[in-house]
Amino acid sequence: MTIGLEEYLVLGAIVFGIGLYIALSKRNAIGVLMGVEIMLNSVNLTLVAFSRFSDSSVALSTQVFVIFIVAVAAAEVAVGLALALVVYRNRRTISVDEIDLLRW
Amino acid sequence: MSDVGFHLAFWSLAVITVGSALMIVVSRNLIHAVVYLILSFVGVAGLYLTLSAEFIAMVQILVYVGAIAVLMLFAIMLTPRAARDNSETLMRYPALILMGLIIAAGTFVALETDWGAMRGEAIGEQTRIIGESLINEFVLPFEIAAVLLTAALVGAIALAREDDEDLALHAESLAEDGLLPPDADSPSPSPAPTPGGGDS
Repeated sequence: MTIGLEEYLVLGAIVFGIGLYIALSKRNAIGVLMGVEIMLNSVNLTLVAFSRFSDSSVALSTQVFVIFIVAVAAAEVAVGLALALVVYRNRRTISVDEIDLLRW
Repeated sequence: MSDVGFHLAFWSLAVITVGSALMIVVSRNLIHAVVYLILSFVGVAGLYLTLSAEFIAMVQILVYVGAIAVLMLFAIMLTPRAARDNSETLMRYPALILMGLIIAAGTFVALETDWGAMRGEAIGEQTRIIGESLINEFVLPFEIAAVLLTAALVGAIALAREDDEDLALHAESLAEDGLLPPDADSPSPSPAPTPGGGDS
């Protein structure tokens, strides 16, 4: 059995599923951000696998795309953690099921 | 692609990545969860190396392990009275079902699709090609990403900055909980300041 594209894609799907579970189920807002980061990582893994195994002549453009995803993820986590700090300062909690000010 | 070392590397890195992601789910302490998150990032970086994407692997180590994980540790340390127990909400059962569906669908698509011709050998000199395409055909997205990062950092600083009355309130409430000495931030009436005080 050789390791080809399919193995990496299945691995990416598994890691994405775990990240989705973490993002949906964690009570702490920082835990939710961890799940989002895991999901972004699995998507990057899938993209790099396509870039490695694709027969196209512009396959490395996929890796440029991955670099942009990493940059946007870094911006997202910086703003997300700053928001968590502001919420903590105002509400004394960052538990996502207690931050229900906008609940109808 | 079929030698023993490659197989060993792929399977051990896959076990590290998936296993530490699962440990984030089950570990009861948020700090431990961040450590497992770092291990998962390192595992993904190793998988990039098995895909001969050495530049992406280095970016992964520098940005994710070096910046994002440390930022998360800082955020946990700066929220001292929030829950540290990494518990789960009632959304866990719908989330579990959704996770199963996503994994099943992804596996099905990955295995059932005919992906066409595969490249046998990796492209050489990847870093040079990526760097050249970043300043040629992708120069506009590159500049937009630079503006986005600047805006995000300014926004994060503007959000997280405390003005003086915030800071006084914060120190006061921390002192109520015994997390700070009570006179740590209040100006002392005596002309000689107490040693070690007033610098929080």
